[in-house]
Amino acid sequence: MGHHSNWPEWIYIGVVIALMVWVGSEAWNAERLVEHIPADAEVIKVTGQQWFWSFEHEDGTKEIGELHVKVGKAYKFEITSKDVNHSFNIHDYVVLLDAVPGRINTVWFAPKEVGEHDIQCREYCGLIHYNMRGKLIIEEADTTS
Amino acid sequence: MVLELQKPRPIWQIMFSTHHTDVGLMYLITSLIFLFMGGALALAIRAELFLPGSQIIADSMTFNRMFTVHGTTLIFLFLLPFASAVGNYFVPIMVRYKDMAYPKLNAIAFWMIPPAAALIWLGFADFTWYANPPYSIISAPGPAADMWIFGLKILGISSVLGAINFIVTILKCKHPDMSMGQIPLLAWSFLTSSLIVLVAIPTFAAALFFFFSDRLGVSGFFNPAMGGNPIAYAHLFWFTFHPEVYVLVIPAIGMMYEIIPRFSRKPIFSHSSGIFAFVLLSMVSFSSWAHHMYATGMSFTEKTVFMIGTLAAVPASAMHVFNFIATMWNGRIKFATPMMWAVGGIALFFSAGAGGVVNAAMPLDFQTHDSYWVVGHFHLFVMGTIAFGSIGFLYYLFPYVTGRMYNERCQEESMIILQSQNGLL
Amino acid sequence: MKSILGLFLVLAILVIIPAAHFVFAAGDEPDGYLDRRVVIWNLFYRMMTVAFTVGAVVSGTMIWLCWRFRESHPKATPTPYEKEGVW
Repeated sequence: MGHHSNWPEWIYIGVVIALMVWVGSEAWNAERLVEHIPADAEVIKVTGQQWFWSFEHEDGTKEIGELHVKVGKAYKFEITSKDVNHSFNIHDYVVLLDAVPGRINTVWFAPKEVGEHDIQCREYCGLIHYNMRGKLIIEEADTTS
Repeated sequence: MVLELQKPRPIWQIMFSTHHTDVGLMYLITSLIFLFMGGALALAIRAELFLPGSQIIADSMTFNRMFTVHGTTLIFLFLLPFASAVGNYFVPIMVRYKDMAYPKLNAIAFWMIPPAAALIWLGFADFTWYANPPYSIISAPGPAADMWIFGLKILGISSVLGAINFIVTILKCKHPDMSMGQIPLLAWSFLTSSLIVLVAIPTFAAALFFFFSDRLGVSGFFNPAMGGNPIAYAHLFWFTFHPEVYVLVIPAIGMMYEIIPRFSRKPIFSHSSGIFAFVLLSMVSFSSWAHHMYATGMSFTEKTVFMIGTLAAVPASAMHVFNFIATMWNGRIKFATPMMWAVGGIALFFSAGAGGVVNAAMPLDFQTHDSYWVVGHFHLFVMGTIAFGSIGFLYYLFPYVTGRMYNERCQEESMIILQSQNGLL
Repeated sequence: MKSILGLFLVLAILVIIPAAHFVFAAGDEPDGYLDRRVVIWNLFYRMMTVAFTVGAVVSGTMIWLCWRFRESHPKATPTPYEKEGVW
């Protein structure tokens, strides 16, 4: 022990710390961007319960298992649960947030293209957790207007 | 030194002995039995997941029970007892004392494991090893959940007793001529991980009490229907079980610190930086628990704090890797079985750590959270790093304990198979 | 020689990466609504680039170490500690 210099280790630690600072600041910046909810985002209330999802739009329309949204608008999900913990996940749009009873969590997204995507539960919630799925259907903006 | 095979003793003399080597052997045998039992569950789970839909396991509830018991078994009944086995066997020898500080306490701590294991296995609970309230409070079936609670409670007490024993043995019973800096790194790893256990476990013990009284309907700490908050359980749980991962990994790194210098034919590059990294790891282990909970709706500030706390663990882990590489540098490395396991373990330690950095980076967590990415990250740690260090040490220890040599070629093959499997994971 | 190399490593981390970051980040300003897929996957690919580079360096070092310092290597010499028999 002790017959060697320590500076390679210090440089190495410096490099590791610099890398971690870079990772941290990049991640911080990206999170800041995606967490900024646009002011005109339309609220959709999402409720998870064993073992399906229900949705309520701002105009009072209710849907179960399917969610219809329009291209080019921003939507803000207010997610909660009726019984146990679930996790609301639209994998293709990187939307993921837990549905916790007694708590409202918010996350937003803006669909870009027409299409159908899966909605799933990503927190273990009992017997039929594996099949607690829904469909996100993204429609053209001008179909109702 | 126990040369069991050359001077056989009746089995009950080993079982009911309080000598540290005998208790260590009992820990070792128990942990290996549970490695096979938990591993059998893993095989069943993977066989079922080979194709979508249900083939082997009749219903989803049985499947849920299997992965719950798989996790609980391998963490609490394989990895922890294995670390205790090595600690029991070697800590007194390394600090040059005749036995553990409290031999009877030591034996009691061991004998708490079989009943706890029986509770967990006979109950076969289904709520994942995280126990996930309010599901586990309001709809987890039957006595299984309660048996799991008591099983974990007993294991918690056993861990705390073991930790007290290690700390007292190392600090109070070490040879008077031996300074703290001269204590071997394996013993240091047990000192730091025992300190983590002492700080972390009581939190979970309290959470288990709340959890059980919630299940009885007496209280509603974690039950939103009674005004409770399930997120509080998540905090208490992860405050214990994030540091717990370090409790598992620190002894495994300590074991690699025994193996690598031995087979590189050089002393450890820097003993003091190893000690420093252990102490640093044990401290930062407490700064990162809520990175498990980004997706529960935490505020931006909270997430930032815990991301920094998590990234802070990286330099300390990287110091260990540096130490290993620098020890091997300019050595004359003999690739015997333990060395192969240790080197493989370092490689997997890096991959696991890199995956951990991605999990910690806030926005990426929303893609990896609750997915196979996390399963892969976690298994690279427990199966890759910790089990590789442990199994390597098992081969290192085998001739010492039994006075016989294992079949080198057979073990090399097993190591290569397991390494390639970890790649697939 | 070695110290110059080390210095360059530190400089690379401290100077070049933040500069590259600015170049990358220039495209992040949202027009209309921000697409979270773009932000998150961008971050993911950048981090994977760095992670695989670092991984290649670390595992390359370890493979070279194991190759060069194995006892069957033609240039393997006993370590100074072996003569004393203590390490």
